[in-house]
Amino acid sequence: MTIRRFLIAAPTLVTLVLLISYFWVPSYEEQAVGNPERMTRFITASSGDASMLNPILSADSASSQIGMLVFEGLIDRDEHLQFRGRIAHSWRISAKAYFYVNPQAVTPRWGSVEGPALVAALREAITRDDSFWNNITAIDLMPAEPFTHSAPKSGSDATATVSLHAQPPARIQLTLDNVDPTLFETLATELGPDYFDTFDPVPYVTADPVVSDEQLATLARQALPATTQNPIIEFHLRPGVTFHDGHPVTAEDVRFTYEAIMNPRNLSPRLPDYEPVQAVEVIDPMTVRIVYSRLYSPALGTWNMGILPAHRLNDDALRAEALARGADPDTYGMRQSLFNRRPIGSGPFRFDEWKSDQFIRLDRFDDYWEGPAHYQQYVMRIIPDSLTQEMEFYAGTVDDYGVQPHQVDRLSQDERFQSFSGTSFGYSYIGYNTRRPPFDDPRVRRALGMAIDTQRIIDFVLYGQGERITGPFVKQTDFYNQAIEPLPFDPQAALALLAEAGWERGSDGYLQKNGRRMAFTLITNNGNPIRRAILAIAQDAWKKIGIQVETDLLEWSVFIQRRVNQLDFDALVLGWSMGIDPDLFQIWHSSQSDPFQLNFVGFNDPEADDLILRIRREYDHDKQVAYCHRLHEIIADAQPYTFLFVSRWTALLDRRIVRQIQTPDGRMVYKPIEPTITGGYTYHFNQWIKLPQAPDFDL
Amino acid sequence: MLAFLGRSLIQKIITLFFVSVVSFLIIHLAPGEPSQIDPLNPKFTPEMVERMRQEFHLDRPMHVQYALFYRDLFSGRIVSWRDNLPVLGKIWERFLNSLPLFIVGTLLTWTFSFPVGIRSAIRRDGLFDKSTTFLAYVLISIPGFFFAYILIILVVTQFHVPVIGMYSFGIDTAPPLVRFMDRIWHLVLPSVLGATGGIAVLSRYVRSQMLEIIGQDYVRTARAKGLPNDTVYYRHALRNALLPFVTMFGLILPGLIGGSVIIESIFSWPGMGRMAYEAILARDYPVILTLNFITAVLVLAGTLISDLLYMVVDPRIRL
Repeated sequence: MTIRRFLIAAPTLVTLVLLISYFWVPSYEEQAVGNPERMTRFITASSGDASMLNPILSADSASSQIGMLVFEGLIDRDEHLQFRGRIAHSWRISAKAYFYVNPQAVTPRWGSVEGPALVAALREAITRDDSFWNNITAIDLMPAEPFTHSAPKSGSDATATVSLHAQPPARIQLTLDNVDPTLFETLATELGPDYFDTFDPVPYVTADPVVSDEQLATLARQALPATTQNPIIEFHLRPGVTFHDGHPVTAEDVRFTYEAIMNPRNLSPRLPDYEPVQAVEVIDPMTVRIVYSRLYSPALGTWNMGILPAHRLNDDALRAEALARGADPDTYGMRQSLFNRRPIGSGPFRFDEWKSDQFIRLDRFDDYWEGPAHYQQYVMRIIPDSLTQEMEFYAGTVDDYGVQPHQVDRLSQDERFQSFSGTSFGYSYIGYNTRRPPFDDPRVRRALGMAIDTQRIIDFVLYGQGERITGPFVKQTDFYNQAIEPLPFDPQAALALLAEAGWERGSDGYLQKNGRRMAFTLITNNGNPIRRAILAIAQDAWKKIGIQVETDLLEWSVFIQRRVNQLDFDALVLGWSMGIDPDLFQIWHSSQSDPFQLNFVGFNDPEADDLILRIRREYDHDKQVAYCHRLHEIIADAQPYTFLFVSRWTALLDRRIVRQIQTPDGRMVYKPIEPTITGGYTYHFNQWIKLPQAPDFDL
Repeated sequence: MLAFLGRSLIQKIITLFFVSVVSFLIIHLAPGEPSQIDPLNPKFTPEMVERMRQEFHLDRPMHVQYALFYRDLFSGRIVSWRDNLPVLGKIWERFLNSLPLFIVGTLLTWTFSFPVGIRSAIRRDGLFDKSTTFLAYVLISIPGFFFAYILIILVVTQFHVPVIGMYSFGIDTAPPLVRFMDRIWHLVLPSVLGATGGIAVLSRYVRSQMLEIIGQDYVRTARAKGLPNDTVYYRHALRNALLPFVTMFGLILPGLIGGSVIIESIFSWPGMGRMAYEAILARDYPVILTLNFITAVLVLAGTLISDLLYMVVDPRIRL
């Protein structure tokens, strides 16, 4: 019966065709069978797709990972976290400082002096043998030139502007070898402590239209600040560096990149880093000078930003692209450009192909100035699910794998793989809304922290893959104060502290003060199992010492918009990820504690505020470290957060991947891949190579 | 007939309008913002967030946003907020990826369900029937993602071969035969997983449909005539049992675009289902709404096709 035969044959045939294909598929051990080029490719996996492959427009991790290979900055950090030149081969940081001659002031040494006389006196002073005066290389009198400054008018009409016509007095320019944050404080000892403070700019300005005296004074101070120090970074570019299309990288490209970031149409998330830049000056094609409007020590680090090719993205290029694509040239900006889908940079790898949610493939750039990478291709696959990433790693179609905490014990011992681990640049914490009682008392916050056994959280929630942390700096850097001990787990001492703060156990077992029970709600976002576990552990720990704690899990956007941004919470569990730079302004300065700002716990300490600003302004690393250590101490004393842990990551790599290095006498030697101080293992990526057999390094 | 078509079309267009309004409202009223507007990014100022909102028309009244969206959709100009690519082009690309999975999955479902269902019906309450019934209930009740993980872990740890994605990664330089076979291999697990639920359900339908027909008088008549069993079952019974399944063809149409969110996500298959899922996570409203709209159109078209097909195969039905 044909129908019957057909009904049996059809499924058998389908199954057979499907299963027979097994014999053509490569396996982990035999990755190169039928496909030898597999060995020349490095394949990695990312859980999310990139958004835009343009370093000034995107901030997500996948885009940055690709961006770091395709683009290159002027500088970056080496394996010891020191700056090293990339597109720039050297740089110099100097400064120019200005102050207005103050005719009202009487100097203790020279009496009341005019500009030229003061310049002469100061020129004499710099011949003294003293590190402060030696740092000043030139003193000049700037001619008084009138100028016009426009500022938004405050009050009801926000759009109106005020024009300020200034006829300033003479100004003195000091040229400094190095930035000196205490320059004017030291100068004040010569010129008199009030010399700068008593400078009154109001007589030198007229406003159009006329504004109130109070506003005029504010505007005048903005337009004619008594003192200014402009740090200057001068970069000397490396000759012979080209973009992937062969175009040389010049100072114009650096200036273009800066202007693109500042262009409001581009909506660059990097903009705040460059806001203190006053001007980017092209001295010659190989020299660029960055002038800052104020002291800003993170400045140098911001120039690791990938440099964009101006000839591909300037107004002419964008206009041509818009016309070619039939779009309106007036609304067509860098965000719309196809450049973000197929970027051109000057990094060690050139862009090849991007298939959304599948992969991004890069080819090596053979003309890279440091010599081409050993791998022919770099491929980032988009694999959202971590189990899938693991399976692909076992099957040999991904070369590295970030291990889940519970797998570390098993997999780091596995013979087939090499493993690396390190602590991450971020920490988890419980934050308290210090505006609300009972959290306005540091003793209560400390007691709450002491009631929680953080070590057990690390042991059982993170499977031991974490470390205690005591403050807001990255633990691997010297900004972190290693001398500070983590809070001990001691519920009895916590109760004693609470008793000191007035909280006593009532007859019902709950802590009470003035007849009110200690009760609050601890919240966090949904979807993070570790934070959910912390929520339950903290609730339980606090209940044991007699605190009534409710917990709530909220969807991320509700959590942020309704609770965190509106400052409507008692306590919350969250985490920060950090950069190496110790700038804590956004998260810890008291001016950032309004709704929608990041100091949502309302931390407010005058000394800490002062230190945060000093750290931002200090260019000397050792002094910065000293300030950071003190700031760390203050924050650890105040405990606005209960600092919990930094997590440890572990990554696996195919054992057959090694570093290949050419010795000076031309021999090739293989070395094992070793992690750097930050725990990153991809630092020497350009030297990596995959061998058919894992070499035995012990010989 | 024409009157039915016209009436039906008008009804469906009205339904479509309401679907578009309701889905638009649900998506815009849900809390959250597109992922580009991340208020927790330390570097974002409220002014920048505001500028982005203007860029995406999120500051306009709801009805204006609605009009702007559907104007862009029908003129084909609609672009994704995530990467500024045209939405329709993106959907077409993903559709082509989902298609092989859908075809092989459907093939497996329909080729396996019929023999299994028919045999269960013929050998009612026999060992085969009992064990397939048991297996069907196991397959229906086992969560798809769990089953998928079990299968993947088994295959990968036993054979060390890749099973995820549309092909073994990095094989694009191999000879064409290797590449083709590799692609087929990668279809195996996801399509088997996609088909298991379908086979379990459909074979039950086939069984009950066959049982019903076998009990009919005309089957007894055929037997009484002395026809061989095969002829009775496969010619007289099966043909009549097939009737309801013809209409089911119309209803699998929306499955084409919906894809399978879970299977595609687990196998990182760049298909439609995964695109929809990711668009929802990123709150990429243009993609979500366009997919929603196309699905609604397909569901309505599917029901129309079912109605028409039924009329074609069963001459007793007049619309």
